Amino acid sequence: MEMESISENEYELFFGPAHPGSGNFSVRLKVDGERIVSARADPGYLHRGFEKLMEYRIPIQNAVLSDRICVLEPLNWNLVHAEAVDELMSIEIPERAKYIRVIMAELSRIQSHIIWYGVVSMGTGFDTGFKIAFGYRDYILDLFEMITGGRVYPAGYICPGGVRRDLPEGAEEKILKVLEKMEEMLEFEKMENPFHLDRMKDVGVLELKDAIRLGATGPVLRASGMKTDVRKDEPYEVYDKLDFEVPVRKEGDAYARYWIGLEEIQQSINIVKQALNNLPDGDFIAKEFKKPKLAIKIPEGEVYVRNEVARGEAGIYMASDGGTKPYRVKIRGPSFLHMIPVLEHLLKGAEIADVPAIYWSLNVCPADLDR
Amino acid sequence: MEKDVLNKISAKFEVEGKIQKKQRIWIKVNKEDLIDLCRFVKEIGFEHLSAISVTDWLKDGEYEVTYHLWSYKDKILLTLKTRIDRDDQNINSVVPIWGENAQIHEREMHEMFGVEFEGNNDLSPLFLEDWEGPPPFRKDFDWGKYVREKYYNKKNERENIYFEEV
Repeated sequence: MEMESISENEYELFFGPAHPGSGNFSVRLKVDGERIVSARADPGYLHRGFEKLMEYRIPIQNAVLSDRICVLEPLNWNLVHAEAVDELMSIEIPERAKYIRVIMAELSRIQSHIIWYGVVSMGTGFDTGFKIAFGYRDYILDLFEMITGGRVYPAGYICPGGVRRDLPEGAEEKILKVLEKMEEMLEFEKMENPFHLDRMKDVGVLELKDAIRLGATGPVLRASGMKTDVRKDEPYEVYDKLDFEVPVRKEGDAYARYWIGLEEIQQSINIVKQALNNLPDGDFIAKEFKKPKLAIKIPEGEVYVRNEVARGEAGIYMASDGGTKPYRVKIRGPSFLHMIPVLEHLLKGAEIADVPAIYWSLNVCPADLDR
Repeated sequence: MEKDVLNKISAKFEVEGKIQKKQRIWIKVNKEDLIDLCRFVKEIGFEHLSAISVTDWLKDGEYEVTYHLWSYKDKILLTLKTRIDRDDQNINSVVPIWGENAQIHEREMHEMFGVEFEGNNDLSPLFLEDWEGPPPFRKDFDWGKYVREKYYNKKNERENIYFEEV
């Protein structure tokens, strides 16, 4: 791409795609002095074509592929994919598997929100926060290693029919210990910090009507004053049996989004504790899937499954023509809307120095944008 | 609840609708009625466009465009499905109704399937850089074959730019 020089004051500037600055993604900014006249997102650095790849593979392989949709929260994406296949094949999931799925999804949400805190701190110049966040995240990665076998990628731990294996012995105590650590981290995060206040208060304000028009979901929409959460609106797994709150704020600025993230960590901790308390005995995978069979026919039909992942609304549209592989898979990532229309809207008229604060406060993930 | 919404729609439009389960309505609509129907459902509360998707039904010679809509008020997911001819792949854009959200979804679908959305003024490439092949998500495009023919046992010409030959 060529840069064009317009006049003495107006010029074009790239934000990204260097990995520490913005992830695998960049924005072209047209700047007049310090002010941004217009912004154009430039995605595609991580495009791997999962939607097409899944058409060539059977569900048990796709479960592994679904990890990679978002690097920062693979277990949540495992769950969306597994639910789509479960619904198409009308599989009855054992109660214990549902609870384990929820525990894993919420742990994944906690570590993803901790990364969010880390990158917001990095973007606003508070490096200590970044380092502490990544240090504390490792406690949860240790849990993932113990339960799924993989630290970052669980290799399709949440698979069609349930989960791949049961919680190992002593897992419950270890999860509770890690949750204590997470509360300790939360104490640190909640300290009012001049770095965050100065850089994010009243920056990147997203009005509610704009948020809805631009397709914002999840924490971004909730920070603009809409009380909505897929876990409450159409409860999947066992979320209807668990007691938790949906944090909402009205300001719509970067600081409000950042606080929603912190409050959601607390809610997720509560959910995991409740789920551990109520964890029933029984099977961890449906009997059809106990012995892995390679060629299972997926009945003809189509479903659209929605989940609340850490970044917002995740959706998978899956259609089958009766073969062993899905005929079409459409993946709807929350960052697709947050990083293109919402980001372009917020950057227009902002100052160059505010770009990282606005960008990271949207809890972005280039991987689920590009897929 | 789902029945009320479906009745409201079928009172005004000739559509084939079914309630799949709680909170899920699927509606088949003609290409000609699509825009009027979209305008109507937005008025009755479906203000969140969750996704636009295209399915390539090769054996029928048709593309199926699906619009997944969510109503924050009624908490229902409504899917509108419309079929267009594979040879005449034009459809009216829903950008006037759902704005930038629809714009970006249509831009992606145009790139991946080659569907022309009339009225969408920015359908420039989104993900693929320097792509000259056919739209890659079409069913008759074989990735494996394309890669074998184009790259297997061949020198990557781009490497000349980065590495000097010894």
